[in-house]
Amino acid sequence: MIASYLQPIALLEMSLTCSVVLIVLLQKLSSKEIPFAVRIVLALLLTNLFFWPLGMSLELPLSAYVRGVTGDLSIVTLLLLWSSMLPSAKKTPLGFKVPLALIAIAFYPLALGFGMMDPYAWGYGSIGFLVAVVLFAIVCGLAGWTKGVWILSFAIIAWAAHWHESANLWDYLLDPFLAIWALFAIPNAIYRKRREKMQSGYLFRAG
Amino acid sequence: MSRVIAFCFLLLASVLGYLHIDSRPAWAPFASVYPVDIANPVEDSPESPESNKPAKTLKNAAPVKLIQPSLRTDWLPDTGAPSVHAASLITLKDGGVRAFWFAGSREGAPDVAIYTAVFDPQASRWSAPTVVMDRVSAEKGLSRYIAKLGNPVPARMADGRMQLFFVTVSIGGWAGSSISSVISDDEGLTWGQPQRLISSPLINLSTLVKSPAMLFTDGRLGLPAYHEWIGRFGEFLRIDASRVIDKRRMSSGRGAIQPVVFADGPQDASAFFRQTRSSSQLKQIPVSETKDAGQSWVATKDLEIPNPNSAIAALTLANGTRLMVLNNIEAGRYRLVMVMRESNSAQWQVIQVLEDDESLANDQRREFSYPYLISANGEDAHLAYTWDRKKIRHVYFPSAWFKQAVSSLKEKEAQ
Repeated sequence: MIASYLQPIALLEMSLTCSVVLIVLLQKLSSKEIPFAVRIVLALLLTNLFFWPLGMSLELPLSAYVRGVTGDLSIVTLLLLWSSMLPSAKKTPLGFKVPLALIAIAFYPLALGFGMMDPYAWGYGSIGFLVAVVLFAIVCGLAGWTKGVWILSFAIIAWAAHWHESANLWDYLLDPFLAIWALFAIPNAIYRKRREKMQSGYLFRAG
Repeated sequence: MSRVIAFCFLLLASVLGYLHIDSRPAWAPFASVYPVDIANPVEDSPESPESNKPAKTLKNAAPVKLIQPSLRTDWLPDTGAPSVHAASLITLKDGGVRAFWFAGSREGAPDVAIYTAVFDPQASRWSAPTVVMDRVSAEKGLSRYIAKLGNPVPARMADGRMQLFFVTVSIGGWAGSSISSVISDDEGLTWGQPQRLISSPLINLSTLVKSPAMLFTDGRLGLPAYHEWIGRFGEFLRIDASRVIDKRRMSSGRGAIQPVVFADGPQDASAFFRQTRSSSQLKQIPVSETKDAGQSWVATKDLEIPNPNSAIAALTLANGTRLMVLNNIEAGRYRLVMVMRESNSAQWQVIQVLEDDESLANDQRREFSYPYLISANGEDAHLAYTWDRKKIRHVYFPSAWFKQAVSSLKEKEAQ
């Protein structure tokens, strides 16, 4: 049933993702906060621009070109990115990014052929791996990041429902872009902490 | 309160995830390629002493002189394209043979398309070539940008339909490849919508296919595939229709690609690879073995046949005789031979030199590569291979030819 909608759904997801990325970039460039309503209108316009074939010399919609390079992004990436558009959006906790970065550092070399152990194969149907993901979600919830519980739950359900082309749970949880984002978040957080410390140092320095 | 609702949702997701895992098919044994009545029972037994013996060095004696008339050679039809490569074959239900290959202005060019033609064994003629897939139809069907097309490999599904696996690249060279597939209900005349196989966690990059698939007893396919980027290693994909439902590593490191698999029984098989090792390492055929129908593979001792980083083709006949077509040299692809190992022997012997440009100067030597072997009835063999990148040669080995080859080998040994 889902199979016939698989490609349009994937293109729609990619179109929305492209538009959200552009809006996030626009926000970074702009000095003022873009109002939520404006963001929604922009997202709608851009999603349509990316989704529909534009003709001219292009054989495919713009999102299909992006998809050709990036592949389908994980559900975790999509939901984190899309939810950053919401007015109540908060920063993703470092307690999620650090373990994610560590997992990615160990996972990618092994999955890409370092040795005979292939953790990617666990994603096809390992109960142990599913339990590990659920436990990770529980820890996120207990640590107070409820959004993480929702996101990981959606990822598991999407995998069970064959939402994307992949039958591997890893592809619903992690992709290289999410891994890079998590990896960059660590030095970024350290830099910010240092800066805060320095600033607070100036504040309380005796005159 | 919101946390409680989130945990309830997680519980629901866990249950759905568990049910999904529980509904997955268990790993099945390999299906026998030939019906039991014509297959050699010794070869089918996993306890066969021969199958456990390490294969010995290829006999380097001069190939047996065979009477040629019964060997039939011709060319796959010309597409008009200057560069052709990577031919593969499949037997049709009416006894014909369908070939697939790619052709274009050069390997990896955007104008490369996958062509097909049918060989009529009665008339010994090939039909006119038609295009199965070109770059634009692939990208429209797969809803993503495709830069170029690569190796096509056909397979017979358990329900009788024909499936064609093919390589596509969106970014970079062949290292950026992914596998897609199309299915035909009418023996390859028309094809359905292409679908992508997801087999790698890094943007699905770098999985390719070259060798024939195997059938499991539950009707699913086992497709020997390989990675060719950071690592160069073999992988065994378990495929349900157009979806990878499991995969297992066949080798690791950077030295072995393009596995061909010989099934030794329902649980046992050995895989032979094209070596891609560094210059200091041995230029011979890497081997991996499985004793649990492909769920786990162990690299074993090399098969001591030279390999110049070039693809090999493999086929088991109904009587258990094994055939391979390969370049048995350490550098270049100017010599192509067929080697045979009888079911009761551990020795591979050259039975036919198909091409040999050894006598020519280095710059005049041509490339004979990418062999692909099938059998129409379990006793004969069809071979297709790239001939100097300009044409694809087709060679038919009738069953009488193999009988003659075996008796000539025995005579030679008796002397």
